[in-house]
Amino acid sequence: MGGLNTSLLVGIQALEATQGALDATSNNIANANTSGYTREVAQFSENAQTVSGSDVSGGGVTLDGLQSVRNELLNLQIQQQTSLQSSADAQSSTLQQIQSYFTTTSGADIASTLSAFSTSLTQLSADPTNSSVQQGVISAGQDLANSFNSTASGLTSAQSNADGQVTQAVSQINSLTAQIAQLNGQLSQSTTTANDGGTIEDQRDELVQQLSALTGVSVTQTDDGETITTGNGTPLVMGGQSFALHTTTGSDGMQQVLDSNGNNITTSILGGTLGGAIEVRDQTIPNMLTQLNTLASQFATSFNSAQAQGFDSSGNVGQNFFTVPASSADAASGISVAITDTTAIAISSDGTVGSNGNIANLSAALTNALPSGQTPAAAYSSLVFEVGNTASNASAQSTAIGLNLKQLTNQQGSVSTVDTNEEATNLLRFQTAYEAAARIISTIQQLSTVTLNMGTSGGY
Amino acid sequence: MTTAGVLDRDLKAAEYLQSLRSMTDELERAMQAIARNALPEFEDSIDNQQVLSARLATLADDLCAPLEAETAIARAMIDEDMMHQIRSANETLQRLNQSYAALLQHSSRSVALMASLFSSFQGQFQEASGPRLKQQTWSCQM
Repeated sequence: MGGLNTSLLVGIQALEATQGALDATSNNIANANTSGYTREVAQFSENAQTVSGSDVSGGGVTLDGLQSVRNELLNLQIQQQTSLQSSADAQSSTLQQIQSYFTTTSGADIASTLSAFSTSLTQLSADPTNSSVQQGVISAGQDLANSFNSTASGLTSAQSNADGQVTQAVSQINSLTAQIAQLNGQLSQSTTTANDGGTIEDQRDELVQQLSALTGVSVTQTDDGETITTGNGTPLVMGGQSFALHTTTGSDGMQQVLDSNGNNITTSILGGTLGGAIEVRDQTIPNMLTQLNTLASQFATSFNSAQAQGFDSSGNVGQNFFTVPASSADAASGISVAITDTTAIAISSDGTVGSNGNIANLSAALTNALPSGQTPAAAYSSLVFEVGNTASNASAQSTAIGLNLKQLTNQQGSVSTVDTNEEATNLLRFQTAYEAAARIISTIQQLSTVTLNMGTSGGY
Repeated sequence: MTTAGVLDRDLKAAEYLQSLRSMTDELERAMQAIARNALPEFEDSIDNQQVLSARLATLADDLCAPLEAETAIARAMIDEDMMHQIRSANETLQRLNQSYAALLQHSSRSVALMASLFSSFQGQFQEASGPRLKQQTWSCQM
């Protein structure tokens, strides 16, 4: 049996150990609302037994240190989802801006001015010699051309804004990677001491989280700390060293992202504000501009052909009504009305004054299919639908990822008290519930068509 | 169309509108439940959604089926205000359904990943030894 001293020693060790645990608990409570704080737990180990003759007594307990309870899987998931959400947010905000150019309430959008142009031709058909009605056709044509110009200008402006985000994001990335590298250095030194280093790790996790919001990254634990690369493997941080990204103006006038060796990595950057801005700048907007330019170019060509089929008031073959730049890439931004004189409208089909025979051809240019296969109005509607759908998708993604992030964060918050058996069961229940939910989603989608048809045909 | 037929149709249209709104509420509830990891509430919402979707499908069939009277007259008797409300509720529901579908997609991926980890790991592992040892993942604390 151990003596009194042994008992006292065991008691003191137990008190010290308990004090350490209490300190950890106090610290946890104090930091309950600290962003990025990771809960710490006291780690105990049993001391060696004391043998005195035939007596064997317990050696008490020792506090080994404080340990941060981390969940690397959840951290990884949160980083990935943060990156996706920032990308969706960057796209969504730009697309919301773009949407406003396609559906204005002032009647200045292409659909409204196209309709007004059509109406002006109908009025001209009824009163072909009235100069004010003829002037109305030219004015409506100018309004239509202006609509194309302003929509193209809006898209280009949104593209420039996205380009600005690229430069800004690269600067923020460089600042964060430098800070992370510094913390890596501090952490590698703390391994030689008895310190947990939890606080530094918390700071680093917080910075990595912020970095994820800017671009998709891959994080690997190494002996030197964390190695962070972009999705395609471009190093950003290796231990205590950071590798700055650079930007340079490309041949298209847009900012290109270069790695520390000067390689252009723009196209391989995915996720985060940077990835979202690059995607919307280099893919989404150019695709919309191409469709808009095609519409402007084909419509102008079609209407000019209709003009050429008729004769103006002087009996000459109709000249071009619209002017479009030689390059179809500038058609929407450069389209304008070529004529200013009302007598230049090719109203007559035979060159006689009072004839309105060619107005049918002019009107048909608005209702006939363009080479793209759609009428001008239908082609524009498709474009508007695409813009709206893309914006709606980005917004839905952002909402969904935000909620998923909340779910992961909640899970991370309860990481220390998790009952694994219960969690395993819950995961299976979640999967079953998701399957049931997927069927309901499909039913709701089908309901949409039915509801839209109600009151129009075959039903109420 | 008989008066009783019109009355029945109006009642069904009103119920359809109410069901669309209830479904919208349920989707919002389910999304919040997922975010909070409130599984029982999520399952409860799914049950309600199933009941509502079955009722909506039945009502939609009824409302779209041709009645005994002339279609033209039936159309003329549509309550435009009701139809407007139905279309508006439908638009709201569709938008939410889009977000709900995206949330399920993202969340499913997370859950599947964690479920696979549960089946892979049977014990603890530690990243580093010494005072800085870390419990790597929550699933690995088993």
